[in-house]
Amino acid sequence: MDMLRIENTLFTIVMLLYFAAMVLYFVFIAVKKDGVAKAAAILQTVGLVLHTAALICRGIGAGRLPLTNQYEFATSFAWGLCLVSLIFIWKFTFPMLGAFAAPVIFLIIGYAAMQSKAVKPLMPSLRSNWLGFHVSTAIIAYGAFGVSFVLGIIFLLRDRMKDQSFWDRHVPAKEKLDLISYRSVCLGLLFLTFTILTGAIWAERAWGSYWSWDPKETWSLVTWLVYAVYLHLRIRRGWQGRAAAIFAVLGFICVLFTYVGVNTFLPGIHSYA
Amino acid sequence: MKKVWKFLGSMRFAILLLVILAAACAVGSFIPQLQPYETYAETYSPRLAGLIVGLGLDDVFHSGWFLVLTIFLCGNLLLCNLTRLPQLVRRYRAAADPEQPYPATVQAADVAEPEPIFAKLGMPKPRAGTDAQGSATLFSVKNRIGLWGAWVCHLGILLLILGFVLGQMTKEEYTVYGVPGQTLPIADTGYTLTIRDFRIDRQDDGFATQYASSVTVSPPGAPEQAQQAEIGVNQPGSLFGFKLYQNSTGDAARLTVKKDGELVQENWVCVGDGVRMLDTPLALYLRACVPDYDQAADGSAVPGYAYQIYIEDQFYTMDVQLEGQSIPYFTPYEVRFSDPTAYTLIQVKRDRFALLALLGGVVTMLGLLLAFYLQLKQVWAVQQPDGRWTVYGACPKGGVLFAGQLRQAAGLPATPDPEPEPEPAPEPETAPDQIEESR
Ligand code: HEM
Repeated sequence: MDMLRIENTLFTIVMLLYFAAMVLYFVFIAVKKDGVAKAAAILQTVGLVLHTAALICRGIGAGRLPLTNQYEFATSFAWGLCLVSLIFIWKFTFPMLGAFAAPVIFLIIGYAAMQSKAVKPLMPSLRSNWLGFHVSTAIIAYGAFGVSFVLGIIFLLRDRMKDQSFWDRHVPAKEKLDLISYRSVCLGLLFLTFTILTGAIWAERAWGSYWSWDPKETWSLVTWLVYAVYLHLRIRRGWQGRAAAIFAVLGFICVLFTYVGVNTFLPGIHSYA
Repeated sequence: MKKVWKFLGSMRFAILLLVILAAACAVGSFIPQLQPYETYAETYSPRLAGLIVGLGLDDVFHSGWFLVLTIFLCGNLLLCNLTRLPQLVRRYRAAADPEQPYPATVQAADVAEPEPIFAKLGMPKPRAGTDAQGSATLFSVKNRIGLWGAWVCHLGILLLILGFVLGQMTKEEYTVYGVPGQTLPIADTGYTLTIRDFRIDRQDDGFATQYASSVTVSPPGAPEQAQQAEIGVNQPGSLFGFKLYQNSTGDAARLTVKKDGELVQENWVCVGDGVRMLDTPLALYLRACVPDYDQAADGSAVPGYAYQIYIEDQFYTMDVQLEGQSIPYFTPYEVRFSDPTAYTLIQVKRDRFALLALLGGVVTMLGLLLAFYLQLKQVWAVQQPDGRWTVYGACPKGGVLFAGQLRQAAGLPATPDPEPEPEPAPEPETAPDQIEESR
């Protein structure tokens, strides 16, 4: 069986499912029927299951963890965001989160679709178990920050909506929204710390230096510092709620820059991933 | 003076430092580092280039001001952790005290039996007591250890920075390269490194999958104590406190010099290196080494060696020498390259503080785990005169989320319905800074 062919097919199906889920979420906002939101969340969950299968197929087909080039990392990033958002959707019975997360997920998997899917052999420095830990923790971290970004947007939009009763029914009160967003930042920061740590351990083994201020390293540190500032500001009076939401939105721009911007604009030893 | 100390240890200063450090890092990643002034002048403008070099923006991460910022951050963390320690210990002790006044912040409605609520919230078995009014109480506390999260996290960051900075200041770093069979000094440490073997593993299509060297290191004057290690990419070795990293590889060739048919010099030259030719003013550099440069009549590959000759540091000429031929210009010497071989480049390092940095990182992680995932929770049940119980809860970081859980555990809807009753304000995050500052 050609695993990579299967992966290719699954990937296409997953993209369609995510797209369908996104459309259903929009329908939900338009027709305001709870059942539609549930159907959308179920479609998204099915998408996630098949997405997981696709990643496993790729792993088997390539004979290694599917976490080593732009395509693999982009599709995994979409997977991570989908996973974390579904966890938050089910945990906090919060389908509106799905409605806002779905376009972001679709955008990222679309970005993945534009990358080369070729399986290239790994250079020796990438042949390490630490790479697996490093990238898989990054996926969860980015997914969690993605969720906090989406929650920030929802927070900022919440009061501007015309149909308040619909929003009141489907979006938690601001105070709760703020706490959920805080929770996702916590998850993100914990995993980002783990990512940086495992990355440093791996860099030491592969390059002989655990920290060399390469742009990707530097930007992951910038992101880490930005979210540390978020946490400390939150402790001060007046920095919860709106300010925190704005911060969460801006923080994710940092995440995206660390992920795509650095590779595009700044040269460094990380340029292959 | 007291005010200055207070500021240096305050969270306000911490936030300021973190923001400045983040900005500095961003700047350091946008401006190419360690370039000569001319490059900046060309890329930006002479004035900007002057500014960049003057402010040390051409080497942000090793500049004095970056170090000063880092030291301030360390001082800030240290002060903050020291000054907050006593009150943290007090809070930690107090959190388990069943007699402490219960906050009326998170309150579930009356229930006849409180125990199931404790169980549903995953609280430990409650302890019975009486409150100041003499009412019977039940009390249970969970995740008290989480109070230490921020403190442990800060300690970890402190250790991490300390390990990193001390490592940067004291680390030793050498490069050794050569071909199998060579014994080379590790700079001026007195240690020598012998390359026993070097191999490149390849896939069928020639793609390299691993570079591996087999080496021995001998301590000064004691070759009998030599120790051996196998190293590869992602598999560093460790001998006599040195760490050995397989760093890179390249081509090398054997250089032989004969006079009247007799060997007078023989050594290995790596591509890029040069050799002074005995008693002549000439220097010979090996620039490239191509194993299949040409083809012999029988179809076998003939290696070629691109070389350059300098006279008194002035470029003189360049050409290619084929295997078996010799290089002119050196009469009476007969000079030639032969036997193309791969050399191995090994980095030898000693960083005595790397483990401290690693420990710091792990402690930081632990602190974050404590702070985020072991949040202090307290639940009280107080018996009313009618025999029913009122249940109160507190989770300083959980606010309305914990309130919802508590209500659900009591069999009520998570959010008061249908008319949202005014939410009780969640207990303000107990921020020592605020308490201090509001005094
Ligand atoms: C790189 C820097 C830092 C990181 C990653 C960091 C991390 C954290 C974390 C994770 C928390 C817990 C927040 C929460 O649970 O929501 C925290 C709380 C806190 N941090 Fe930091 N911190 C840093 C630097 C500092 C510095 C330099 C200070 C100096 C004053 C400071 C003061 C505080 C205070 C006062 C708290 C509240 C403590 C409490 O809740 O008991 N932090 N920090």
